[in-house]
Amino acid sequence: MSNALCRRLGIEHPVLLAPMAGEAAKPALAAAVSGAGGLGMLGCGYMTPQAVRDTIRAIRATTDRPFGINLFTPLDWTADPEKMVAYRAQLAAAHADLGIPEPDIPNKYEESYAEQLAVILDEAPPVFGCTFGIPGPDEMAALKARGILVVGTATTVAEAVALEAAGVDAVAAQGAEAGGHRGSFLVPFDAALIGTMALVPQIVSAVSVPVIAAGGIADGRGVAAALCLGAQAAAIGTGFLLADEAGLNMAYRGALQGGGVHDTVLTRAFSGRPARGIRNAFLERLAGSDAEIPDYPVANAMSRTMRAAAAKAGRAEYLSLWAGQAGALARAEPAAAILHRVMAEARQALVQAL
Amino acid sequence: MTLTTALTRRLGIRHPIISAPMHVVGGGALAAAVSAAGGLGLIGGGYGDSSWLDSQFDIAAGQRVGVGFITWSLRKSPPLLTGVLRRKPAAVMLSFGDPRPFVDEIRAAGALLICQCQNIDHVWDAIDVRADVIVAQNAEAGGHGALRGALSFVPEAADLIASHAPQAILVAAGGIADGRGLAAALTLGAEGVLVGTRFWASSEALVHRRHHEAILEATGDETIRTTVVDIARQIPWPRGFTARVRRNAFTQRWHGREALLEQNVAVEGPRYRRAFAEGDPDNTGVWFGEAAGIIGTISPAAAIVETMVQQADAIFRRIAS
Repeated sequence: MSNALCRRLGIEHPVLLAPMAGEAAKPALAAAVSGAGGLGMLGCGYMTPQAVRDTIRAIRATTDRPFGINLFTPLDWTADPEKMVAYRAQLAAAHADLGIPEPDIPNKYEESYAEQLAVILDEAPPVFGCTFGIPGPDEMAALKARGILVVGTATTVAEAVALEAAGVDAVAAQGAEAGGHRGSFLVPFDAALIGTMALVPQIVSAVSVPVIAAGGIADGRGVAAALCLGAQAAAIGTGFLLADEAGLNMAYRGALQGGGVHDTVLTRAFSGRPARGIRNAFLERLAGSDAEIPDYPVANAMSRTMRAAAAKAGRAEYLSLWAGQAGALARAEPAAAILHRVMAEARQALVQAL
Repeated sequence: MTLTTALTRRLGIRHPIISAPMHVVGGGALAAAVSAAGGLGLIGGGYGDSSWLDSQFDIAAGQRVGVGFITWSLRKSPPLLTGVLRRKPAAVMLSFGDPRPFVDEIRAAGALLICQCQNIDHVWDAIDVRADVIVAQNAEAGGHGALRGALSFVPEAADLIASHAPQAILVAAGGIADGRGLAAALTLGAEGVLVGTRFWASSEALVHRRHHEAILEATGDETIRTTVVDIARQIPWPRGFTARVRRNAFTQRWHGREALLEQNVAVEGPRYRRAFAEGDPDNTGVWFGEAAGIIGTISPAAAIVETMVQQADAIFRRIAS
């Protein structure tokens, strides 16, 4: 099922590991997907520049196949003192329940994008992905000069057109089903919740670069459908979360394997930026007070201690349980087995449909 | 050229394409044209105007068509169903509510039962009543619907049906407007598609010319799921369902200010209805889904069916080769 994008990326199967930042961003996961013939992409936006470098080197130590690193394009944000006080009070209640000290105000809210990008340019992973925006012209030129292929993330036709104009090599079309953070950057989030089925063919028609379908795809039927819609590859995120190599904490794994996986919602409760995850007590508690949640990345940094303690204590009610609408299709298998199963399912789906 | 699936075999049709029973829009002419082209046309049962329905069945006379109802609304006027069943519809689709009260009557009349579902709970309901056809309606859809996206909802429903109701046939709806969507739906595990927005943009659809002009200009970015169209029309839709319409001056003004709209409905309701009647694309609901951006012509329904099937067939041939 190879095609022009596969050849360009140097991969065998038209499947990408969607770049998930946070707990699942394990080098072993990306290396396993790449090693099996897909493209392992890791979301490294939360990592220190040194950790980004270590991650790239760890992947290279495991596989000589192509892989990708994704960063969050920096956003404008404010650390609104009133919102921070209100949000801290919500966190304090959770901290008390978890039996950990009261929440601190973090000394920094995000890693330096410029330093992270310098590592990318230095280490030159085969593929660079950007989410939340478009790299500037100088950055784009520098990435190209290093021979790095650039993949941008679009949630609307207009974003895809803007990314193509900026010179990306491929566009990932992120449908509303997708788990984790929304990539929207040109329009309000609620105006950019287009389903993958409708979004992909429109972006395919609107741009001339290859399109990668993302959102709601977790098995081979979804991959086959993505190809039918005109995409040249599909990105699978949630479908790899139960992979052994993702090494998720038990509470998160349990939530993905429980009945709640059918009930995902978009929330700003954990990070300040809308993201899709499994409904739990903390996001429910904040559902009515969205206006009191600070901007991303302020809220994200403030809630980090709570989330880490909850992971350790096995308390899913305080975890950001990022998952897309296809969570129920995820299987606990080694990543290579998942990829091989997905490809077999995709072939079968196409044969059956013929 | 035909595309044979379990749906075409069960319904005795040539192409696995059903037209959505769109309220006011899906009349007898559209349903008959879709059936004549080898699919199955469904007349929109809407909120219960029996004389309108009768006239639409008259228009469709000679073609084998079906009908679709808004289930929660039908409960308020069950005789509507009894009247329609006298017209011997090939199938009756129930959507948005518990199908149980109507199942026996539909079966006794010899019509196939189609249940449209918006989430997994609804699929269980459809399995319980042994629906002949189960439609997984995705969030991309125009008009009323809910929040599950096609790419995950269709295969999840397919798994459930395969293990609990293998006799039932799965159909995908929402966001499907060309052969790419048809091919994708079939690979996701559906045996056919139910198409609304693409047929909304057909010559036979009962849509104002200016609304048709609006869809030709729109991209799929320009729709919204909202309740303001129902508030303005004073139609008490149950919670959990919203309507996808064109994002326009009306939705910009009221979406997010629902309580205020409710207070002003004595003025805003008639204004909405007047704008709708005039075909004003800005100050009323313009009912299309996210597939708007891949629709570039107002075409006869027969051409739409033919093009979809040919394009899907070409895709399968290309990918298989």
